[in-house]
Amino acid sequence: MGKIFDIQFMISTIPQIGSKLPVTLWIAFLSGFIALILGFIIAMIRYFNVRVLSPLCKLFVSFMRGTPAMVQLLVAYYGVPILLRGMNEGLGTRFSVNGIPAAAFAVFALSLNSGAFMSETIRGAMMAIDAGQLEACYSVNLSAGQALRRIILPQAFTNALPALGNSFISLLKETSLVFNISVIEMMAQAKITGSRSYRFFEVYIVVALIYWAVCFLMERVLAVVEEKVRRYERRAVK
Amino acid sequence: MIDVKGLKKSFGDNHVLRGVDLKVEKGEIVTMIGPSGAGKTTLLRSLNWLDAPDAGTIRIDDAEIDAARAGKKAVKRLRSKTAMVFQHYNLFNNKTALENVTESLIMVKKLSKETAKARGKELLDRVGLSDKYNAYPSFLSGGQQQRVGIARALAVDPKVILFDEPTSALDPEWVNEVLTVMTEIAREGMTMVVVSHEMRFVRDVSTRVLLLDDGQILEDGTPEQVFKNPQHERAQQFLKLAHLE
Repeated sequence: MGKIFDIQFMISTIPQIGSKLPVTLWIAFLSGFIALILGFIIAMIRYFNVRVLSPLCKLFVSFMRGTPAMVQLLVAYYGVPILLRGMNEGLGTRFSVNGIPAAAFAVFALSLNSGAFMSETIRGAMMAIDAGQLEACYSVNLSAGQALRRIILPQAFTNALPALGNSFISLLKETSLVFNISVIEMMAQAKITGSRSYRFFEVYIVVALIYWAVCFLMERVLAVVEEKVRRYERRAVK
Repeated sequence: MIDVKGLKKSFGDNHVLRGVDLKVEKGEIVTMIGPSGAGKTTLLRSLNWLDAPDAGTIRIDDAEIDAARAGKKAVKRLRSKTAMVFQHYNLFNNKTALENVTESLIMVKKLSKETAKARGKELLDRVGLSDKYNAYPSFLSGGQQQRVGIARALAVDPKVILFDEPTSALDPEWVNEVLTVMTEIAREGMTMVVVSHEMRFVRDVSTRVLLLDDGQILEDGTPEQVFKNPQHERAQQFLKLAHLE
């Protein structure tokens, strides 16, 4: 046995593990984007209490929040092909199950999961806007749509931004679960690299640092965006 | 100008308006006073359908609406005749003073941005805020915010402006500047319906005072008539308690 902690080896694995960072980022950003749209749609349905859809959304959110992301990934990975096969047999459709890359299941499951969380964040932020804002819109004869688009939603998104950023950072880290459904992203690559040398500790330190670096960068970007969108608010002196 | 007939509104068992009839002529400055819970604010907010009455009809100018069948179109038409100034200003927090005023010009009246801006600046000048075009509401004093609120209301080019206790959330030092602006607008012939207990305004500016109690109009006359010679005992009691006599 060699060194207890082989820093040389650790540094040498960075390029190999880092080479899968784009896969991680791609899954995270695509899922995040879909989650945001999904979360927004669910939030609107719940905010306006749309008949039939609203209780369904509530159920969906409850399920997605009440089950582990890991389980959801596996359910999607094994469940969606069964569902498609069932549809093919039942409805005579011709979906090819084999044509779907594993990463698609990852994006599917993660965006549903994150979308459920984001919907509650957005809904909460909309509820927090004073009714007087909407009344003022109506008093100058803006339509409900104009009021939402111009006055309510911009304020709601400003309020939701820190929590949405939180959700996105969580999502980015949850992509590390998708090696379980045979997607080779950064975490999977780390496992592979580690198993070749039996130096797992070193490679996990490397992935940890890469995740941290990316999340740190995200935090900085979010802080800049927040500074920009909050320009209309007065802040107390420190 | 305004013709309200048989307006009724209740929240559960609480009858806020019990069949109110009211006619207001063009250029009248009508102030509503009365004990809290009398229905003043609900009546005012019914005039632009921020509160939907249960029964009755409202006509403002040539827009008429019946509570029994109030469609979106009728509500929008009614609202196009009015503008409102709120107790807590309710300025659009994410818009500058100028944008607050130009919002309806651009989105509702479909003016070009340049025309809207020019008009918005004119209106802000008129309420004495020439140096605050680009200030966000949270950076303005209460009095300044309420003056932006008045400019925003004027931008709608309404037939009547509704004021819901426009000075009651203001520090005493800001009350005057708002009352001065309101008085100027009144002098220019704007029809106004005001819920206020601001005596200086009620006495010096209003042409007519309504005293509401328990969802009904109890007294209706010139300030002189209502304060000096109220007809109902309930009215006398209120005026005494409120030190308005």
